[in-house]
Amino acid sequence: MEKGRTTQKLLQQGYLLRLLVRRNIKNQYYRSFIGVLWTVLNPLLNMLVMWFVFSNIFGGNMEANLPYPLYLLSGNIVFNIMRTATTTSLPCLVEQRDMLQKTRVPISLFPTANSLSSLMTFGFSFIALLVVAIGLCIAGQYSFRWSILLVVVLLPAVMLFSLGLSYFLSALYVFFRDLKHLYSVLMTLWTYLTPLFYTTSRLDNPLVTSVINLNPMYHYVTYFRTVLAGGVPSAVEHLICYGFGIILFLIGYAFMHAVRNNIAANL
Amino acid sequence: MAHSAHAHSQNVSRPERRRSKRPPMPENCLIEVSHVTMKFTKYEVGVDSVKELVVRALKGDLKREKFVCLRDVSFQIRQGEAVAVIGRNGVGKSTLLKIVSGILTPTEGYARFRGRISPLLKLGAGFDGNATGLENIYLNAAIMGYTKREIDEKLPEILEFAELGDFIYSPVKTYSSGMLARLGFSIAITMESEIMLIDEILAVGDSAFQKKCYARLTELRRKGLTFLIVSHGNTVRSLCDRAIWIERGSVVADGPAAEIFDRYTAALNAKGTAPAPTSAQNPPASAQPTAASTTAKDASAQPTAASTTAKDASAQPTAASATAKDARPEEK
Repeated sequence: MEKGRTTQKLLQQGYLLRLLVRRNIKNQYYRSFIGVLWTVLNPLLNMLVMWFVFSNIFGGNMEANLPYPLYLLSGNIVFNIMRTATTTSLPCLVEQRDMLQKTRVPISLFPTANSLSSLMTFGFSFIALLVVAIGLCIAGQYSFRWSILLVVVLLPAVMLFSLGLSYFLSALYVFFRDLKHLYSVLMTLWTYLTPLFYTTSRLDNPLVTSVINLNPMYHYVTYFRTVLAGGVPSAVEHLICYGFGIILFLIGYAFMHAVRNNIAANL
Repeated sequence: MAHSAHAHSQNVSRPERRRSKRPPMPENCLIEVSHVTMKFTKYEVGVDSVKELVVRALKGDLKREKFVCLRDVSFQIRQGEAVAVIGRNGVGKSTLLKIVSGILTPTEGYARFRGRISPLLKLGAGFDGNATGLENIYLNAAIMGYTKREIDEKLPEILEFAELGDFIYSPVKTYSSGMLARLGFSIAITMESEIMLIDEILAVGDSAFQKKCYARLTELRRKGLTFLIVSHGNTVRSLCDRAIWIERGSVVADGPAAEIFDRYTAALNAKGTAPAPTSAQNPPASAQPTAASTTAKDASAQPTAASTTAKDASAQPTAASATAKDARPEEK
């Protein structure tokens, strides 16, 4: 009896989660001219712009383990899992306040839905990445290795990290509504502190190197690139990736749980 | 069967120890609020942004203040009752509502309910503008706790009641306010949760639709649904058979709707907060203290006459003085 009710409730929440994710994906490219195709095209076009800027204007010649277009694309789409998840989650509880004030529903569902939709977006972007990789493969600049499959090992860690941060931020936003502006500045800083378009070999400041080493996104991005280049990340790399993920998830969830009554009062 | 299932699930997340102390819920009782006291700690000045926090911290101006929002509120609502919670703005009605629906855990006491709650939200609230009407129906009902199958079953009825025709496939942001109201109302009213939560006035669409809504609400009442209506005005009077009057976080009076509404309106008018003929008798400048004290007097005089459970003796004076302090025009 007891078990039946719990599973029924979980199934219902799963259904709600599915609806929310579908809604997010739809809204993202709502009524755009080419629809879902845009989810694949968007990262490709972004990559082209960055490629042009960094190899022609800033005079690249990056020593990377991947061809530069692939290097750019791979870094950006992994970073975007976290970026999209957190920036959409930040205001998500406040946006739903009308409903959340009146209905008892687990609030963590909303940031979870946002994180899952950003994972879906990663899926679309991954298709774009494969397209570029195939192109480069034909041109003889890249070859596929089995280790690319290890991306499924990386994704749970990135997800845990994004989820934890999303929980934390969406809860905090209820109390500090100007966090949005602050966070966008922080996000810019974070983007530059992650080697998305430059390579770490160019860094000669030990302070910057150590800061970057403490940046979890650096490790996720590097993991992804290693896997794409045919290498297998070390056990320590795995430990770091999952360590950051699990710790942030626990912090975020615990914070949201601890302040949930204050959230209800302040919504 | 279904009722008890949900009643249980509502309590699951509460600590086991606290739940076991509670006596079982009376058989015909659908909503129970027992000795609920809610205290908030807030910054004395509104701090709701990082900027404010930093500025105040630098000024050394960050004093925290504890204030009591609800004080020892208790009531029970039986199945099929239509109860209005009335009181002026800011007396703790919304907080009480949050506690009743289980969103907010009170500082002391507890509140619980059996079944599901359908909230009737204000105009267009809780909708996603970019999603179509149809998608919003599913989304809203799912947030209320319904499964896909249950929504599928009710869908024809919702569509029929909303009278939106093909607009149901258009994004909600293209809707007129009347259409929004119709959609929201149709969802809440058709899902037939055991408890209907109605917040403030029912300003729904044109008068024809409004009539339809009132007819439907009356029908639902006959079906035995329980209504909890929150209002600061007289508009919902005809829907209720019982009213709970809240002032300054305490229950002032609880009894038959007609009588409580009369006293409430009289008290409002006497305070001169609303433009009313009685306020003309009082000299405007020093009116409030005297006005307040008269209300206190005649409010405490009445309840013995009627068989109400008023706890006025201690509550009323504070309530009256509170109103004198922050007199503001009553929205109608």
